[in-house]
Amino acid sequence: MATPEDRAPEDIAIVAVAQTEAHARYDGPEVVLIMEVVNRLLAEADLERGDVGFTIAGSCDYLGGMPFAFVSNVDGMGAWPPVYESHLEMDGAWALFEAWLRLQMGDIDVAMVVGSGKSSPCNAREVFHLQADPYVVAPLGLDPDAMAGIQARALIDAGRATEADIADVVVRSRAAAMTNPNAQVAGEVSVDSLLAAPYDMAPLRAHDVSPKADGAAGVLLARRDRARELTDTPVWITGLDHRIESHHAGLRDLTDSASTRLAATGAGVAAGPIDVAELHVTHAHEEIILRDALGLDETTVVNPSGGPLAGDPVMATGLTRIIEVARRIAGGDADRGVGHAASGAALQQNLLCVMEGGG
Amino acid sequence: MRLWWNQPRMAELPEIDFTLEYPYTRTTGPIIGPFLTGLRDGRILGTRVGDRVVCPPVEYDPATGATIGPEHLVEVGPAGTVDAWTWVAEPTSKHPFDHPFAFAQIKLDGADTTMLHAVDAGSIEKMTTGMRVVVRYHDDGLGTITDVHFVPGDVPPAMPRPAAAGDADPEPVAITEHLIGVRIREPLQPHRRRFLQGLSVGRILGQRSPADGKIHVPSRGYDAINRVPMTEADDVEVADRGTVTSFTEITPVQYHGQTETEPYIRCSILLDGADTTIGGIDIRDIPIDEFRVGLRLQMIWNDAVGRGEVRFDDVDNRSYGLTEAVYERWEPTGEPDVDPELVKEHNF
Repeated sequence: MATPEDRAPEDIAIVAVAQTEAHARYDGPEVVLIMEVVNRLLAEADLERGDVGFTIAGSCDYLGGMPFAFVSNVDGMGAWPPVYESHLEMDGAWALFEAWLRLQMGDIDVAMVVGSGKSSPCNAREVFHLQADPYVVAPLGLDPDAMAGIQARALIDAGRATEADIADVVVRSRAAAMTNPNAQVAGEVSVDSLLAAPYDMAPLRAHDVSPKADGAAGVLLARRDRARELTDTPVWITGLDHRIESHHAGLRDLTDSASTRLAATGAGVAAGPIDVAELHVTHAHEEIILRDALGLDETTVVNPSGGPLAGDPVMATGLTRIIEVARRIAGGDADRGVGHAASGAALQQNLLCVMEGGG
Repeated sequence: MRLWWNQPRMAELPEIDFTLEYPYTRTTGPIIGPFLTGLRDGRILGTRVGDRVVCPPVEYDPATGATIGPEHLVEVGPAGTVDAWTWVAEPTSKHPFDHPFAFAQIKLDGADTTMLHAVDAGSIEKMTTGMRVVVRYHDDGLGTITDVHFVPGDVPPAMPRPAAAGDADPEPVAITEHLIGVRIREPLQPHRRRFLQGLSVGRILGQRSPADGKIHVPSRGYDAINRVPMTEADDVEVADRGTVTSFTEITPVQYHGQTETEPYIRCSILLDGADTTIGGIDIRDIPIDEFRVGLRLQMIWNDAVGRGEVRFDDVDNRSYGLTEAVYERWEPTGEPDVDPELVKEHNF
């Protein structure tokens, strides 16, 4: 475990986190969800918006069917006073990656990151098949849920999991979510009762797929000296890596996550014990693949928030994984952990953020 | 001019329901072009990459990125083996069938990798890993991946090359088309609903920011400058007359969907009592050489408002402009112009 003296001036910490609840349907503007998060972040760090040197948002215009929605979303980030700002058509976890890179330039010391989405106006399955190859896959409408069904089948056929193992992921997620005030789905269920439900994308059932939600999440990042001014409990980002696999599913081994293994090496996951891991599991079987690829054993608490299976505010879900780990480190419940974000079908893209406390 | 202050018949407001579509046309290139041509004409192609055959074909070696030319194309199939699969119990509107079917990874005979496609098997009981499936070409192939599907079995198609059968020398597929679209269904946002309901009874509602007192018309439901959400308690009414703050003359370009044919004026108006302008107001009956910044205009409500029969057929959450569902036109009031200097901060 690193000591405070080990931190270099260019080290970057999370100094504040905020998230809305996962609304099954939020009727107001997405901007207000963002505003709620931004105002809470600034209040927690006792900052004005003008103290932030860079803002970045992750969202998806397709979800609300509104071209350039990301521009009006700047209203929530705070367009005044002027600031260097950026946007990614990706989950907020990737926005955090860009902000982390931006801070390393050294000319600014505080950055704000938000991920937000309102997926309730559409059927997200009818949007995200567009992430697939536009010539040979997307016109089939082969969406992430269908691709997850294929991946789960491959996992079962390979003898790596049973339908009961997959249901067990749901049981644990819903039980863990009972202490998460932002969760959408929580409660005690049994493997047997889940297995009695009909198939949706066989071998997956409806409860194996994350419930889509409207919501937003955000973090404030700061360089070392500023971070220590802003909080007594900075959460240091000690490793951040993102890897992508081929969009040609036939070239991938769907029973493994090669990109997660590479990202884990790059981010230094194995350099110390992982007390807590929050994994971007939008289909229950993915937890089994990710635990294996990350080399996690029973000493790691996985998805203590319930994870995305308890609430999936699309475009904020990956960033929320990082937030849930950071909150536990700042609160003293964990010393070191990893937040994981995924994008694309069948875990095509994986991002890992390793965090430590220690002042 | 507000004749209908107490008009009790507010308009029924529909849910927002629209489909946003974009027609994509993509050039196909030296490998995907022949592949899609093959699907249309009745054969399936892969590319030989080293000692493997990859299908769907690739333009590059996945390991090294080296170019794979069309000389490496080889025919595979028409039958193959299901590797992994899922049963789609409830198809989406984007799926190739409207009845339950399977998506599968299919390793075609002669290929070393799998291709994703749909298997029309009838029921989940027909599906097993390792089962044999065979292609079915569609008669109306357009040169897209959806020109074919698969069925259980390995009996080759009775008419293996439908397009070629009717045309001795069909053009190769150089362009593939994909119409993408998403259906959006959502309620009007609360501030937007109250604004439109107000219009239906002849009232223009704005919202007063609790942070700085400025009145936003139409409101977006928040004050962006001070980052404060606004609620019904912040609603205020403003006048239906105001001052032109900027304008332009638009000469319609005849793009797809254009309904305008004659030049017209598009302007922004600062309503009396408001601190933000209403944009996108179209003026068709005031000569351009008489139009100017500072001109005072009065909104002329239409008869539907007076009769309590306003219909909003096309509503959205964009909180932008005023709807022509409630007004006929804007008329000069005859008042002296406002000094343009006084409205210059509202130019945009």
